[in-house]
Amino acid sequence: MNVKAKCIISKDRVCIVETAAQAIFTICAFVAIFAVGSITLYMIANGVPALFKIGIRDILFSATWKPTAQEPEFGILYIVLTSIMGTALAVMIGVPIALLTAVFLAEIAPKTLTAVIKPAVELLAGIPSVVYGLLGLMVLNPLVYKWEQNLYRGSETHQFTGGANLLSAVLVLAVMILPTVVSISESAIRAVPSELKTSSMALGASHVQTIFRVILPAAKPGIIMAIVLGVGRAIGEAMAISLVSGGCVNFPMPFHSVRFLTTAIVSEMGYASGLHRQVLFTIGLVLFGFIMIVNLILNNILIREDR
Amino acid sequence: MVRKIKDGLILGTIYLAAFFSVVLLAGIIVYVCVKGIGSVRWSFLTTVSSVLKGTVGIAGNIVNTLYVIILTLVIVIPIGIGSAIWLNEYAGKSRSVRLVEFTTQTLAGIPSVIFGLFGMVFFGTTLGLGYSLLTGALTLTLMVLPLITRNTQEALRAVPDSYRYGAVCMGAAKWYMIRTVLLPSAMPGIVTGVILAVGRIVGESAALLFTAGSGYLLPGSGEGLFHKIMESGGTLAVQLYLSMSKAQYDTAFGIAVVLLCIVVIVNFLTGIFADKLNAALRK
Amino acid sequence: MITKTGNIKIKTERLNLYYGNTHALKDITIKIRANAVTALIGPSGCGKSTFLKTLNRINDLVSSVRIEGGVYLDEKDIYAPGVDVTKLRRKVGMVFQQPNPFPMSIYDNIAYGPRIHGIKDRNSLDEIVESSLRDAGIWEEVESRLEGSALRLSGGQQQRLCIARALAVQPEVLLMDEPTSALDPAASLKTEELMRWLKKKYTVIVVTHNMQQAVRVSDETAFFLNGEMIEAGMTREIFSYPRDRRTRDYIDGRFG
Repeated sequence: MNVKAKCIISKDRVCIVETAAQAIFTICAFVAIFAVGSITLYMIANGVPALFKIGIRDILFSATWKPTAQEPEFGILYIVLTSIMGTALAVMIGVPIALLTAVFLAEIAPKTLTAVIKPAVELLAGIPSVVYGLLGLMVLNPLVYKWEQNLYRGSETHQFTGGANLLSAVLVLAVMILPTVVSISESAIRAVPSELKTSSMALGASHVQTIFRVILPAAKPGIIMAIVLGVGRAIGEAMAISLVSGGCVNFPMPFHSVRFLTTAIVSEMGYASGLHRQVLFTIGLVLFGFIMIVNLILNNILIREDR
Repeated sequence: MVRKIKDGLILGTIYLAAFFSVVLLAGIIVYVCVKGIGSVRWSFLTTVSSVLKGTVGIAGNIVNTLYVIILTLVIVIPIGIGSAIWLNEYAGKSRSVRLVEFTTQTLAGIPSVIFGLFGMVFFGTTLGLGYSLLTGALTLTLMVLPLITRNTQEALRAVPDSYRYGAVCMGAAKWYMIRTVLLPSAMPGIVTGVILAVGRIVGESAALLFTAGSGYLLPGSGEGLFHKIMESGGTLAVQLYLSMSKAQYDTAFGIAVVLLCIVVIVNFLTGIFADKLNAALRK
Repeated sequence: MITKTGNIKIKTERLNLYYGNTHALKDITIKIRANAVTALIGPSGCGKSTFLKTLNRINDLVSSVRIEGGVYLDEKDIYAPGVDVTKLRRKVGMVFQQPNPFPMSIYDNIAYGPRIHGIKDRNSLDEIVESSLRDAGIWEEVESRLEGSALRLSGGQQQRLCIARALAVQPEVLLMDEPTSALDPAASLKTEELMRWLKKKYTVIVVTHNMQQAVRVSDETAFFLNGEMIEAGMTREIFSYPRDRRTRDYIDGRFG
């Protein structure tokens, strides 16, 4: 305040410009705080009312989803479970492949090969999610449908999904988290000091033993960060899986047509109104809650790494 | 002997995983190109779909995409750079720095569907901008802000302190020093952030579906160019999604080819500028 | 300080400086003569560089620094409230241990300071650039490539460029923080020659590790140890008849 007052009295141009610049930068920095604050506020303001109108138990712990019926029911239990299950399965499939690829890139591949594969992985990360959705729809669904037909041949109780089911969605998600996990864990592996590696080799350990007993444990914080980011990406993805996963609200089993938190919002927002629309915001709030948990975990890892 | 077999098996698995990742990517690119290249004709790129004539064209979507890119960048670049300058040059080590860094990182993690919902109610309803390219651009601004802030911050960190001392010792005031010495040195990093942001914007669909809508017509000339900002418009990625849900797969693959080309260009440019930044770091 | 001729340009009175809890400068009282070269010597970590940096308030950039006591330039306290720091730094130029040219052309490096202070006219800038480069003894070497990048010069040339850059804002005092320690012997000698020449126009204060250099270039010398100024006076006297035993030990090479 003092400086400002002085500037106005002395009418020093430099002084005024400098003070103004600092003020503007401060405002810019606070845009992020303002954005996260207002997103949180809006999600709560729009998502909470339905919770009270319908009752927390009837939304969160009921499995019946009939938003447009005469007497609508808004139980999102299966939707929540689908998101959790889908993310968990995608991580279980995607992370091992990604980690091994990262090990290959950082430890085994010759430089020329890395120079080819790394840009390829980055390209994989850059492909828009709708394109993954298109591929899932055109390639994966027919393939999974064949498996389904073989598996449930003659079954009378199974509802055939035509390949649009949880399994297809999980495979798409697994591919989508691949690049994120590969590139972050690769840099974590590369950051392990080479003395560790040499001293392990000097003790007579083979390269493979060294990788799994020394290098990977040393790179653990970075790898965990990669996995957490992968979880975040999988749980928040919408467009890639909205047409691939079928779209009925069912208990999450591989060959069930299912609806995720994200796909429920995307596919119903267009026509929802009234209470139905409010419930979609509640679904958004649940998703937001999951993401904030992921973020807090991530933040804790980052803070620990700083030390 | 057992150890050797075990090592061999594990190595084999590693090779297999890496091979899988590469084949996957190659497969995706080849498949999309084969399926889509047939649709990409001159008229596909330069006309607008017409129900009467029964023709398909994505010119309107291309223009919308350009609108969204430019609008978003115009808003986000100054904010992102300003925020990075504050964090790196002014703020020191206070609690508010940690809060800004935490929220920036949080923004990077929020899924685009949530941005879409927020943009729809905040910019669309509360601020009364409706379904428009401007609403979409404002929403994307929040989404790509972390990319610009972080890349600029990293580039500023890489500028040696001796430049700062040198300039200040000449009697340069802070902002003058930042403008004349720091920002030019940090330029490759800033450009990298901007290119990455363009990549994100081009590929985004969920956040735009509820905010910018799905209009596909070309803007009028003259004042129409300006009015377009307040009108609904679907970008290429949004149109791809809509075509897909209407089972117009030829159009969808055609757009996918166009998007892939853009992604390849974006990654190529990012590589160039990242190399420049690294060269600057090593100096 | 014992002075026979010349005016006092800078003086400090009971100057104390703290980095957080560390007491880095203790009760420094010194008078520095105009148009002379003053050398600050002492072992590493003795506070001589820190002291130098209080004279143009560049220590202000470090947030944990606290200063007590007075520093006077031409009898005016530079730490008094309301002092324009940028004007102060224009009067008191500084050259660093590592040459730090900006990543710009040679011309723009020299013109950087004058431009800050509002000189835009191309002819005046040309003049300043030429005279500064001449004063720093590097004009002949770079005359033909003023638009080339300053980063392509050799280390010694870069250091003289930085001196020229400091001179371009027409300072009254020039602070040099071990200006030759990153240079080879030939480039060092050239820079020393330059210092002796510069004192005709400027007040030069140089921090150095190299005692021969202090003897060769300076008129007066101050010896620092553990944040205290032990002794100051005419260079010849300090090196021939040091009054304090610690000064004698240092000059004889017993520590540091």
